[in-house]
Amino acid sequence: MANENDTTTSSSGTPGGSAVSRAKFLGLMAAGGALGYVGMRITGRTAFGWRENTVESSQPKFDPSTYRLTIDGMVDNPVTLTYDELRALPPVHQVSDFQCVEGWSVPDVEWTGVRMQHLIDLVRPAKEARYVTFHSLTGIYRDSLSMQQAGLPDVLLAYDMDGDRLPVARGLPLRVVMPRMYGYKGAKWLRRIEFRDEQDIGYWEQRGWRVDAWIKA
Amino acid sequence: MAVPSAFVRRFDLTSRLIHWSLAVPFLLLLLTGLTNYAPRLKALQFAGFRVFAWAHVLLGFAMVAVALVVLLTLLRSRALRAEAATLADLTDADQRWLEHQARALLGRHKAEPPVGRFNAGQRLNALASTAATAALLATGIVLGVNYVQKDVIEVATVNAVFPWHTVIALATIPLVAGHIYLAAVHPGTRESLRGMTRGVVRRDWATRHHPRWVPPTD
Repeated sequence: MANENDTTTSSSGTPGGSAVSRAKFLGLMAAGGALGYVGMRITGRTAFGWRENTVESSQPKFDPSTYRLTIDGMVDNPVTLTYDELRALPPVHQVSDFQCVEGWSVPDVEWTGVRMQHLIDLVRPAKEARYVTFHSLTGIYRDSLSMQQAGLPDVLLAYDMDGDRLPVARGLPLRVVMPRMYGYKGAKWLRRIEFRDEQDIGYWEQRGWRVDAWIKA
Repeated sequence: MAVPSAFVRRFDLTSRLIHWSLAVPFLLLLLTGLTNYAPRLKALQFAGFRVFAWAHVLLGFAMVAVALVVLLTLLRSRALRAEAATLADLTDADQRWLEHQARALLGRHKAEPPVGRFNAGQRLNALASTAATAALLATGIVLGVNYVQKDVIEVATVNAVFPWHTVIALATIPLVAGHIYLAAVHPGTRESLRGMTRGVVRRDWATRHHPRWVPPTD
């Protein structure tokens, strides 16, 4: 093989000075290490963590000074809450699993927020009110729960996640947390809660997913 | 003495058909799967269906069918089984070849151990691709069935399987990228692509890279 000097077709490089080759080797090691590090970061975040699901064209803007949560519809006492007023309501801490209908999940998510039942009590629903619709900031996404489902003790409106303010991709400023159902029941970027006598068929439910999205263990 | 042909046969039509019938859906599945990491692409809808998500699931089922046909073909054909065995047969010679490549990277050059029809890199690529494909199809069936019909598979099973599907799929990216680079781009090795398209490779290339398979003729 020593007489084989055709460098363009040699698969193992040209024999040369060891200094150059060592530099090349160190470069390869560094590149490999960097690639491995990036790979670990990507894998750690994507294989075991959250995935971003949205049908909005961009992430809704949130300004704490102008944000309002409106709770209205068939209620005796409609209310509008500012972000600060919302955070001043009795907080609830809850650790629950998040399960997406696509198959991925995030175990042991630490939520902080307001119990939905607390808000139901606050607005005093009329006798005809049997369902609750949750509207996202831009009005594109919405979903609904029956009053009975919404009143379950682990149904929250969360503003914090894992000890920090809700990330934008997770629904800043406020999202519905309904751990016993698939994730699409939990509207993100919440701005309006509407009490109704009929169930609103949500965004993904119009596209085939179930209205009662119970997770059967 | 007759002048030997400029080309030698590397893969017959069946082998090439098997390669491409698996390679094409594999690449499409990798690409549609990766749209999960681009929220805009992921959100793309047609008639209420998420285009890439459904394409990924349906292509996955199609590839399971293709893989079963390939498996049956392999089981029915003695020649194909022999071919697969030749490809998968890692020996001490392969270890020496790998050690040579490692030394070459370190800048210490000695003569490359003569290689037969397949070198250790080709064998490892074949074994790793096969193992990854089998694992991706097995985990993918669970996730695909769960995607089209809930409550058939337990949520705990889905949760256990999902990260593995992701990790293995991401791990195949450098494997596939390396395979395509060596097969189609690297000047020293890209002659091998012809073996998988036309079925033949240049005799001088085969002699240089696989002397135990195509010995030099003087």
